[in-house]
Amino acid sequence: MGVSGLQLTLALIKPDVHAHPGLYQHIVGTVLKNRLLFVRSRVLRWSRQDSASFYGEHEGRFFYNRLVGFMASGQMSAHILAGEDAISRWRQLMGPTKTFRSQFTHRESIRGQFGLTDTRNCTHGADSEKAALREMQIFFPEFDAKTWWKEQSEFFKEGRVHFDEGRVEHVPVGKVHSDEGRVENTPVDRIS
Amino acid sequence: MLFLEGVQNLGRVTAPIFKEHLGRNAVLKCKTKRYVHSSCALTAKLKDPPGVKKPPDGLPVFQYIGKHTKRVNKIFVWGNAVTGALGIPDFLNPPPRKRVRKHQTVPYCLQDFSQEARTVSCGYGFTVLTSSKERGKVWGTGVNTDSQLGLQKAVKSTHEGASAIVLDYVIAPAPVDLPLAQLQETQVLQVACGRAHTLILTDGEGVFSLGNNAYGQCGRPVVEKEDYRGSPQVNKVNVKGKVKQLAAGLDHSLFLTEDGEVYSCGWGADGQTGLGHYKTEHQPTRLLGDIEGEKITQVATFADCCLAVSEKGDLFGWGNSEYNQLASVTDTTQVNIPRLLPFDYIGKAVQVAVGGTICAVLNNQGQVYVWGYGILGKGPKLDETPIPEQLPEALFGRNDFNPDVTVKEVKAGLNCFAAVTTIGDLYTWGVNKHGCLGLGHQKDQYFPWRVSLPGEVLSVDCGVDHMVAVIKSLL
Repeated sequence: MGVSGLQLTLALIKPDVHAHPGLYQHIVGTVLKNRLLFVRSRVLRWSRQDSASFYGEHEGRFFYNRLVGFMASGQMSAHILAGEDAISRWRQLMGPTKTFRSQFTHRESIRGQFGLTDTRNCTHGADSEKAALREMQIFFPEFDAKTWWKEQSEFFKEGRVHFDEGRVEHVPVGKVHSDEGRVENTPVDRIS
Repeated sequence: MLFLEGVQNLGRVTAPIFKEHLGRNAVLKCKTKRYVHSSCALTAKLKDPPGVKKPPDGLPVFQYIGKHTKRVNKIFVWGNAVTGALGIPDFLNPPPRKRVRKHQTVPYCLQDFSQEARTVSCGYGFTVLTSSKERGKVWGTGVNTDSQLGLQKAVKSTHEGASAIVLDYVIAPAPVDLPLAQLQETQVLQVACGRAHTLILTDGEGVFSLGNNAYGQCGRPVVEKEDYRGSPQVNKVNVKGKVKQLAAGLDHSLFLTEDGEVYSCGWGADGQTGLGHYKTEHQPTRLLGDIEGEKITQVATFADCCLAVSEKGDLFGWGNSEYNQLASVTDTTQVNIPRLLPFDYIGKAVQVAVGGTICAVLNNQGQVYVWGYGILGKGPKLDETPIPEQLPEALFGRNDFNPDVTVKEVKAGLNCFAAVTTIGDLYTWGVNKHGCLGLGHQKDQYFPWRVSLPGEVLSVDCGVDHMVAVIKSLL
């Protein structure tokens, strides 16, 4: 996929941030300020099992156990972000994983400012297009990336979107032409 | 130059006119433990009350202290104000023509608690206080999304009528309801706060816990997907033996009994429970390993690394060691059983403090040794060392005028230190997030620096991004 520039990525905001509603607002604000757009958002709570299957690739590493345990400890949220070069830009906004070091080296990043420890480090971001697709499927099984690219990517590219604060999502402004020839007037609730 | 330094300390609390009179005499006064402070006050008053001792050497007197004046305790707060952890409602809900204050970089007096402050503890964005006036009572302020301050409700009235809402933030100290059997007799001795849980130690009724229990850190069984918001649950923690001291990590809890045994519960993914495994544990369980048979006198933890000191003056550690905290005994990044740390050269250890990656120990001569990773206090280079190194005593105010000053208590926040000296001065250093060092700015402080406080510091506690000190007024 990939029409010049626009990219989709998956972002997680971890339970340590969700315990501080003000901090969550601030991070959402930071994302908006950096001209990344929210395609989908969802607040959820993981069980240990969900967490273990998500981080399966890290199994055997020394931090695997604590990462899995932490992600299942409370409410968190998942977001699909869209924007030019979204994957690397979101990772840049987040800062390096090791919070204790990034607070000296990357002070402006989210983790550098608000991260507590290397595990309780505020956010997660997909590291490649492939990973982003896989992770989007886990959190938003109903989200069909292909349809989205066909029907809505133009709106996001041209900035014809409106930010819905309650849902923490950008919705296209105008008419969305879907496959069956149906024309939906916005704000649309569900497209796919 | 030494003279100027001495005067500098005075200048902060004395009227400008007084400075003119500072000659050789005044310097001698400094030698005798700041006696100038207590013999004159700042404002001018006309009448001299009879029977009050005149200050010697013709020092100017602006006001005599009344006969019945007592020195009182006060609480000062500083750091990140956004969470409400400072307990000053005016910062977040300012009166007309005032602005919202997000950071308080210099100490600010918590007026409501003046005169009756006892102990305080700071968690991640919240503070718990106790007072000597009302026994068995605890106040909390700050973030309450996990009910770490108990169930806090407010009445919201709309045009449809009034309804009760659960408060996620409390911006002024609010009482926390404890299920005490004897409300009049029981006294709260100590409080300890973690990332989202609170531990409360009473003299007759044991330990209570509130807040997040996702790892069993409250000492009760973990309920999968339990909602902690708006939960009125206060749990009585079942620890074998009489608890003497509490320490709360971000997601685990340590209990020290009067017999010198250590119990722990909560998250063990870094080995911070010290129970020989990396699982969670909800039942406070006794720690063994190298501390078995030793009488422990103090335990400390903040994030995922724990330290303890024994009666003999030995040092023990367990938990996270990714940043050289325990690298003197192991190469692994996680230690799940207490290990003896072989630092004989520091002398007899009496107190320890540990933050996220930073560790400090105080010996019986009042000297502070630091190790770990981060701003340790030895200058502008980032340090990473597994071996404790001493901080120069001159940095804690020991000089020709105050030759006997030593450190009596050292505390650690997530990335910063605080030390109280024997004459009641407070020194802080480390990462200055949101102005949590109280030095009047938000730049990192690379070596101990004195915090300007109008009194003798009794105790201090550091949170993630704020600090609270209990002081005794000078007059």
